[in-house]
Amino acid sequence: MSPTAVPAPILAPEIADPRLYLDGIPHERFARIRAIPGLAWHPYGDNGFWAVTRHADVRAVSRNPTVFSSAIGHTNLWDLEADALEARRSLIDTDAPDHTRLRRMVAGAFTPKNIRRWEDAVREITVELLDIFVAQGGGDWVDMVAAPLPIRVILAMLGVPVADAGYLVELSNYLVEGTGDTQSLPPDAFGNTTELRLLPFNSPASHALFEYGDEMRSKRRAEPRDDLVTHLVEAEAEGGRISRHEYRHLFHLLVFAGNETTRTAISHGAMALAANPDQWQRVLDDPELVEPATEEIIRWATPVLHMRRTAATDCELAGTPIAAGEKLVMWYGSANRDEAVFANPLRFDVGRRTSEHFAFGGGGPHLCLGAFLARLEVSVLLQEMAARRLFLEQLGEPVRVASNFVHGVLSVDMAPGGAS
Amino acid sequence: MSGDLVAVAVEEERCIGGGQCEMLEPEVFLLDDDEAISSVIGSGVLPRPRAEVVVHRCPGAAISIVEHPEASGTDG
Ligand code: HEM
Repeated sequence: MSPTAVPAPILAPEIADPRLYLDGIPHERFARIRAIPGLAWHPYGDNGFWAVTRHADVRAVSRNPTVFSSAIGHTNLWDLEADALEARRSLIDTDAPDHTRLRRMVAGAFTPKNIRRWEDAVREITVELLDIFVAQGGGDWVDMVAAPLPIRVILAMLGVPVADAGYLVELSNYLVEGTGDTQSLPPDAFGNTTELRLLPFNSPASHALFEYGDEMRSKRRAEPRDDLVTHLVEAEAEGGRISRHEYRHLFHLLVFAGNETTRTAISHGAMALAANPDQWQRVLDDPELVEPATEEIIRWATPVLHMRRTAATDCELAGTPIAAGEKLVMWYGSANRDEAVFANPLRFDVGRRTSEHFAFGGGGPHLCLGAFLARLEVSVLLQEMAARRLFLEQLGEPVRVASNFVHGVLSVDMAPGGAS
Repeated sequence: MSGDLVAVAVEEERCIGGGQCEMLEPEVFLLDDDEAISSVIGSGVLPRPRAEVVVHRCPGAAISIVEHPEASGTDG
């Protein structure tokens, strides 16, 4: 509940309704919230949350994990019952020391140096997808390029056969539905018998993904390989450095996070390049702009819209007193359009020299594990598009996901245009 | 004196292997291949403003500037 000893907080305009996001991020509402002194309170369900919308405040929350906990409650704004919370907990919903232990289990594979080793593999997949896209005269960019690129890369890292990429993209699409209001799957889809509220995203597709991860686990136990699943399975076997539950959830998180987010960046990136051919021309004229253009695309896309923290103690942020147990929700799309940090924040500008966007989180210990991988994928794609002098022409409106959590695009038709 | 060279140090227990240091200053920081824990390599010194950026960006707040490198034996 909001504190009683102080004046009633200012209420934020509605930003949690998933349907709002069918028209894109409601930037104008967020700008209004950023201008409110202190933090604004947003009613939600039986209770509500503090809307953290300014860049500086998102940073302050992210970097103070002892006060702003990921493990009390979880990291989405909706509430979970205690048993569901435990059943659904993954790396992202932990605090130190569990977080540090789990993160170190996988961090080695995602360092800048180790991610660079995947560059050739990323390029090979990118070239194949772009060649098909151009040869066929375009089509649905999500289906042809944005979805297959990241999923094929993360599956290669995990050691999952390419033949199963389509199935895992399908599961991932169903998971995303679970963040909105509609579920198209019946509760017993994929042979699920678990109560939906105990599954990540309330989705029977989570059951299918857990099953798939378990199958991989058995295979790698029998026959180890040089891949991430083998690495995790060995950590489980070696005196339980990681539990069975933790393995299942890490596998689930890596597939989902490695797939859905970068796909969103590539989808919004294509739309931004199509809408701003002058910006794309700048990249063609100056290959040094690939790096800042990559950051700008990721800022522009902000594929993950929010993460939540829960106050572990009474505290204060931006002059607003916060009571222990209250929720704070960080809105990355807002921080990434904060006029205090970004000049002309609503402009797509490939020459920005700041990489301090918060699309990968506000700079605390949960900072995106896959950030260097995502950057590699987007930058290789830009390089290969530039090598072909490929301009994109957007045909019609995108189909967006109704979700306040992922800024997803289900489909958007694109045609290859010629060099200008 | 913003061009001063300063020494930096990593507090291992706080490091989560986020890789910001290696991205920003690959000649000063290296993450190990297994648990991605950062350590200082080479001379371990860099200009103060750049050191401040790394400190600012470290997600685990694990990096600090060693104010008196002589005392800790690093040749600044
Ligand atoms: C453009 C693409 C991506 C975006 C925008 C993105 C965004 C994010 C955000 C906002 C967080 C939470 C940060 C926080 O709470 O401070 C996060 C965490 C995470 N991301 Fe990403 N992500 C992307 C790509 C990836 C990829 C490719 C992977 C592949 C493995 C990945 C894996 C993870 C994991 C495992 C976490 C949890 C880290 C932890 O709790 O310590 N992400 N990501």
